[in-house]
Amino acid sequence: MPLYICNAKAGAVPENAKAKIAEDVTRIHCEVTDAPPTFVHVFHFADGPMPPLGDKQVMLYGQIRHGRTDDQKAEIVSQMQASVVEHTGLAPEAVHVFTTDTPASWVMEGGDILPEPGEEDEWLERHNAKNHAKAK
Amino acid sequence: MSTCMCVVQEGQISAQTEEALRNDLVAFASQHFGYVPQFNWIVVGKGNGFTAAQPSNSVIVSMPADRKLPLSEREPLLRELGDIWINRSGLTGNEVVTVITDPPA
Repeated sequence: MPLYICNAKAGAVPENAKAKIAEDVTRIHCEVTDAPPTFVHVFHFADGPMPPLGDKQVMLYGQIRHGRTDDQKAEIVSQMQASVVEHTGLAPEAVHVFTTDTPASWVMEGGDILPEPGEEDEWLERHNAKNHAKAK
Repeated sequence: MSTCMCVVQEGQISAQTEEALRNDLVAFASQHFGYVPQFNWIVVGKGNGFTAAQPSNSVIVSMPADRKLPLSEREPLLRELGDIWINRSGLTGNEVVTVITDPPA
């Protein structure tokens, strides 16, 4: 978590743009929130059921941890929309980006409940130490 | 009807393993939440899934609880759900993301 789902009309996102968008989404999310990149999942779908496309060519939906500020969310939306527009050549009004909040305590990755926003460094230290001990 | 969403990567889970997982998930939801879930089984096509901006091996498994859960109850259930996937699929713990939501308001 976060999980970003990029649903697009078939052909709207060129194959060679998918990795670039995923890279941008990961970078933007991490820069805005200080989350570690290993938390960020980006999955592309063509004509998928979720989120519904409506009159858009691309819908990018981020399920992010609860606790981000409105300014952070606005920054995420703005920068990610610009990335999709850049890599697809679509008009800005054809691309919609939105996020919803999920409590960190509802999610487990790598056997650990996700940290609250701002507690990632301590979480990663504990998590990596645990994995290191298991590997011995 | 409550839905269990499973997002997997193409080629990651065989049909036989998928069937076993579905059975395990039905048993899990029945035992802990008292319902038999419908499944939304989503396969991410090759070249379409990324974790940390690299090709993804991650699965995301999400289902609702039948009640609001305190962390003391949710955490072991999330772990049990993850163990189902690790044991059936051979994935590592770091490749399995589990989510148990509170029921919709």
